[in-house]
Amino acid sequence: MGPATPTWVFLGAALVLAAACLPISHYYNENYGRVTLSTRQQMRVAVVAVIGAPVFFGASLLARSRADWSLDLPVNPTAALFALLMLAAVAVSVGLRAHHVIIWGAVLVAGLLPVWDGADPSNIGLVLAGVAIVATGILDHRLLVRTFGSAKGLDLENSNAGA
Amino acid sequence: MPERNDELILDRLIHEPSRLAILTVLSSVIDADFVFLQRTTGLTKGNLSSHLTKLEDAGLVEIVKRFVRRKPNTNVALTALGKKRIAHHWVQLERLKSFSEAPGQK
Repeated sequence: MGPATPTWVFLGAALVLAAACLPISHYYNENYGRVTLSTRQQMRVAVVAVIGAPVFFGASLLARSRADWSLDLPVNPTAALFALLMLAAVAVSVGLRAHHVIIWGAVLVAGLLPVWDGADPSNIGLVLAGVAIVATGILDHRLLVRTFGSAKGLDLENSNAGA
Repeated sequence: MPERNDELILDRLIHEPSRLAILTVLSSVIDADFVFLQRTTGLTKGNLSSHLTKLEDAGLVEIVKRFVRRKPNTNVALTALGKKRIAHHWVQLERLKSFSEAPGQK
């Protein structure tokens, strides 16, 4: 079984995720403002997305393949590669914080531990990555609130009409 | 009396802490809206509004009022002059710092 097989489960999850992103994005735009990143920052994000996604999917498929030249180790390449990709993406885009290193480092170590014998561990790897994303998101939000104040901490009434 | 060094004189319009914060934030992005500037500078609505007006009058920022999802939204970006002046200001500050650290200046 590949990652999130059957395929419709993966596609369904991706759609739910995309739908959830809209209200989340709206919340942050309304309470913390809108900003257009500099060209350099946009380039960094684009490079990570363009290079990172194919590398993750390609390397993950390669490592899980049953071909003779594939990895024959009881590791979880999906979790390990996802963790590496996230560490690289965060480092390049916004800079690593302690909680990023701890959470994604833990997922990386867990993925590389030789305990993944038996059935294909890809789906468990994706679940691990999902839990890590949620945990990272909560801690990122807490950091944002500590730095810029809570959503209710700013008098936003007619703020946009200022100047 | 020491000689006046014009190269080390700071631009008062930019050097005011709130305006320096606004211009520095704007110099790191393409544009930002009023709420983002309020969050990052910690200024009140009235203060931010007043400083933005001064910066706009000086031609350092461009303010665009628009509607986003039917709500008024004020978007701010540095003008070419603003980019030049804030970059020059930071160079001046660096010069001033190196001048104060230079041997024999104490």
